Amino acid sequence: MRLDGWDGRPTTRETAIQPGSTAHRDPVRVEVRGLTKTFGAVRAVDDLTFTVEPGSVTGFLGPNGAGKTTTMRMVLGLEEPDSGTATFNGAAYATLPAPVRTVGAVLETAFHPARSGRNHLRVYCRAAGLPLSRADETLRQVGLADAGGRRAGGYSLGMRQRLALATALLGDPAVLVLDEPANGLDPEGIQWLRGFIRHLAHDEGRTVLVSSHLLSEMEHTADRVVIVGAGRLVREGSIAELRSGAQGAGTVLVRSPEADRLSAVLTSAGLAATRSEDGLVTVTDTTPAAVGARAFAAQVELHELRAETSGLEALYFRLTAGQEQFAAGPTPTTTEGAAR
Amino acid sequence: MTALVRAEWTKLFTTRVWIGLLLGSCVMVAGFAILFTSFAGNAQSGLPAVGTEQYEELAFATAANVTVLFLILGIIGMTQEYRHRTATPTFLTTPKRGRVVIAKLIGYALAAVPFALVVLAVNVLVVWIHAGARGAAPSLTGDNLRILASSGLALVIYALIGVGLGALLRNQVGAIVGGLVYLFVIEPIIRSIPATAGAYKWMPGGALEALTATFEGPDLLEPWQGGVLLLGYGLVAALLGTLLAVRRDVV
Repeated sequence: MRLDGWDGRPTTRETAIQPGSTAHRDPVRVEVRGLTKTFGAVRAVDDLTFTVEPGSVTGFLGPNGAGKTTTMRMVLGLEEPDSGTATFNGAAYATLPAPVRTVGAVLETAFHPARSGRNHLRVYCRAAGLPLSRADETLRQVGLADAGGRRAGGYSLGMRQRLALATALLGDPAVLVLDEPANGLDPEGIQWLRGFIRHLAHDEGRTVLVSSHLLSEMEHTADRVVIVGAGRLVREGSIAELRSGAQGAGTVLVRSPEADRLSAVLTSAGLAATRSEDGLVTVTDTTPAAVGARAFAAQVELHELRAETSGLEALYFRLTAGQEQFAAGPTPTTTEGAAR
Repeated sequence: MTALVRAEWTKLFTTRVWIGLLLGSCVMVAGFAILFTSFAGNAQSGLPAVGTEQYEELAFATAANVTVLFLILGIIGMTQEYRHRTATPTFLTTPKRGRVVIAKLIGYALAAVPFALVVLAVNVLVVWIHAGARGAAPSLTGDNLRILASSGLALVIYALIGVGLGALLRNQVGAIVGGLVYLFVIEPIIRSIPATAGAYKWMPGGALEALTATFEGPDLLEPWQGGVLLLGYGLVAALLGTLLAVRRDVV
């Protein structure tokens, strides 16, 4: 069926839609200053300050429940902060003269299920005083051109995400605020989204803030990351800065026909090596280079040597450890990040 | 504001809720008109006979009995934003949320005008055919016309009250059930208990009755006062809804 093919649609078309149409759009800087919000006894967002620069993708990273969505909703004026401000070139969202022409947002995907995708978009064209043709233009941009006449209730999760993205793009905004836009997309859809987001920022000069709980996702998309845990700013910087500050912090998997001897060699060298099934040794808190050097020195034959979690991932886990609202255990599993 | 009102119409006419409610209203008004006419002059029913002034006013006030569907139209118009979470994109597009409520009040009041005209046309047509067959088709003049027009006005005002009620309660099922319970349980009780009957004329049902009433009933306001009072209820609900509910965080 066509429906299944949508998320994996070839991604060549959308880049041709608005090639470098930056002339009419002034760059907008988003500034979040001391944002705080409390729900009952829970301080969801705690004195959060960061800046989102034009022309780049800023990843808003943190475990589930870290306050990312609440922060974005406050930035967009949907929730009232207890204190602090969020401004677009100095103006709060509610005071923007034409908000959808300045800021586009993907939050939860919200449609009337009986309304077609095209009509959904037309509603907001009308409300924002945009030409109705923008509905078809943005549908094309997100690869939904042929599905616009169908009821949004029948869309797959991936198509809903694309429709939400189309809604955000209606006003051709200078700023995009995207909350977990990769949710529900299949691998091809995610690949497309990464390229699309980078294109929107790098080629078209937009300011993009995109949240995710997956570091691996942000490594492929973001130029800078803002890491939050338990509502507080944990780290802010470029991916490169973060990576350089995270040397030697990962878990390394190494496979050898002489696993027992390898394990002994590594242990005697002061590394935390654990022997497991099938000739596999897991070494924590080290780098593949360090393990390889020991093995080479001891002349142990290796069949595989790889970082299970990159130093960056290990740093992310360390930074946000124990700060999930519903933490499963003391050591967060790494498979989720590695699987992507 | 024109843009926002047109956005509301796009919302209204791109789902099929309006067709269902309009058809339902037509069926209901036709059904009541046939019922009234069938039992007109029947001694046990207490309904006045075809050809009398009372019958004609009653028959042309039938539309006042479907106000509940126009109330639901308004309620759905407002509360669907919360039910389907479209409140988020709506308030992102229009951060001054009071403007959304005003646009809905205007949009639904204006949309209710042609709907009401259709309902009135069905009403008149059914009465003409049925009462004509029973001897005397009533004329569309004088008090008959005034009653008909007031009933149509009541429909429009009830759509507006629905928007206000929806803004206040936000929950679609809660607002509809609450509205029905109020109209069909609470008000009839208040109306029938002598101690509280005096207050009835100031309530929405009493105001509706004042606007469209034909023959003997409880102590009521003047028709125009009833209309103004009804309108006031709708606007006050919308104002309170905007201040108390719509401004609250959307979750």
